Amino acid sequence: MMEMPAPAVAEGTSSWERFEALYRASRDDVFAYVTTLLRDRAAAEDVTALAFERAYRRRRTFDRRRGEERAWLFGIARNAALDELRRRRRLATLVTDPSDPGAEEGLVSDPEDVSLRRTAVRDAVASLSARERELVALKFHAGLANSELARVLGVSESNAGTMLHRTMQKLRKACDATD
Amino acid sequence: MRRTDDMPLDPEIAAQLDAIDATLAGEPVDPQYAELAELALLLRDERPAVDPDFASSMDRRVAQRFAGAPASDSAATPRFSLPWREWMRPVAGIAAGLAVVAAVVVAVGPGGGGSSASSSSAASAPATTSASSAAPPQRRALSGSSGSATPGSAASGSAGSGSGSGSAGSSSAPSSAGALAFPSPPNATPTPNGRKIVQSAQLALGAPANRIETVAQEVFDVAGREHAVVNNSNVTAGGGGSAQFQLSVPSSALAATMSALSQLHYANVVSRTDGTQDVNGQYLSDVRKLNDARALRTSLLKQLAKATTQEQIDSLNARIRDAEASIRSDESTLNGLNHKVDFSQVEVNIDSAAAPVPSHGSGHSGFTLGRAAHDAGRVLTVGAGVALITLAVLVPLALIAALAWWIWSAVRRRRREQALDLA
Repeated sequence: MMEMPAPAVAEGTSSWERFEALYRASRDDVFAYVTTLLRDRAAAEDVTALAFERAYRRRRTFDRRRGEERAWLFGIARNAALDELRRRRRLATLVTDPSDPGAEEGLVSDPEDVSLRRTAVRDAVASLSARERELVALKFHAGLANSELARVLGVSESNAGTMLHRTMQKLRKACDATD
Repeated sequence: MRRTDDMPLDPEIAAQLDAIDATLAGEPVDPQYAELAELALLLRDERPAVDPDFASSMDRRVAQRFAGAPASDSAATPRFSLPWREWMRPVAGIAAGLAVVAAVVVAVGPGGGGSSASSSSAASAPATTSASSAAPPQRRALSGSSGSATPGSAASGSAGSGSGSGSAGSSSAPSSAGALAFPSPPNATPTPNGRKIVQSAQLALGAPANRIETVAQEVFDVAGREHAVVNNSNVTAGGGGSAQFQLSVPSSALAATMSALSQLHYANVVSRTDGTQDVNGQYLSDVRKLNDARALRTSLLKQLAKATTQEQIDSLNARIRDAEASIRSDESTLNGLNHKVDFSQVEVNIDSAAAPVPSHGSGHSGFTLGRAAHDAGRVLTVGAGVALITLAVLVPLALIAALAWWIWSAVRRRRREQALDLA
């Protein structure tokens, strides 16, 4: 899950063992990131599966000198998700915000003020641009460190931090406006 | 997104980011960032959860190492998803094909004669090696060709004014002396057009020392078959071994004779030179001179019939004798010229030193250290040539491919980012 540390795999393990550890540590994070980006659970499941399959096929090409495995995996997932967005544009299909059953179920048991707060946050996230939403997904749903986030987006770490800060400011304003 | 220079973060922004990281890590934060921490926790709680069915399905596929079909969403598969091994195959095929072509070009190209036999023979005729390399490989190509002058001499001969300015031309077509190699024969045949043309030819043959006599006999046989006259011959057997022939060949049979001499069983052609000389002017001059002499004699005879004094008769008789001597001389000259026109002079030289080294067998060992070193050097040279040509072709292709790949990657990256902007 999100707080799960990076897979601790001993040196000398096979590429398959490394991949399996990476899968176990990152599956839910990748799915969460892709779902937030695509706003479509079904498509997110397909893209997640595709991302892991690509990562499996390319596992031997991974170069540790170019970054950590999680950043490498999220780069693959990001490309797959963007390809899916392109495909949707070509097909001109209507994309609707997904309903997250898990989230809806969670709301039932929340106190009213927390529930209102969650709704405000959800609306604020929905109002973000895709790029900003991606930042939120990578940081809060996938649990990437700022350095990993920067590597996935292809920007410098300070640039990634600045972008994240701006997005948080925008979210806070949107939430305050709702309150 | 564009990568910008890594500027240091504003301290306040850095502090806020640290507060977010601390919150997500479950650590306490400064009260001034409480609102930000709450927002971070709420955002984390909005994390979409994985459906258990999907999770178990993924676990199964991973356990099976994605065996069988590719990812379930075929539509999400990029159009260009060929693994590098797939597109490397045609590239490797093209590279191999180019290497083969380069090898062939180097092997048959200038200076690329095959065995040490031809190389050593080429050394015996250094001035002619390059001309012979591009020659057709079969000396059978000589069949039907006629020994004749170069185009220049032919043109001169046919366009001459008839004043005896006929020009002689010669053409040299030496061979690399491979057993089957022979250069393009000089096939520019002068068109007589009724003119008198003297033709000649020289043929240099190479033959093994122990075959000199056999080859000499073959020359005699050809001469007999073509009704040629052997004016002179000199055959030396043993030692180096050589033979020389002077043949008078009926001009009408010159082409066939040269063709036959070029295809002797145990000899190879080292060089061949064909020459022509237009003697039409000289012939006409001689005919005119003869006619004048005859006319003079006729006139003198008529004067003799009318002569009345002994003194006149004696004087006319003396002049008639001179005229008849002149007539005989002119007739002799004319006959000699006609003989030269009707019979072409062919000189054949056979030399064992110019014989090709047999590739195998033939009585003596084919292996020497020097020859092996020569062959090794030749192989290395050809190999280096092939490598150079292959590189010359592949490097530009690789650069073009790399550029195309870079452009394609940039375009794809840009399209992906556009898709995100438009989402």
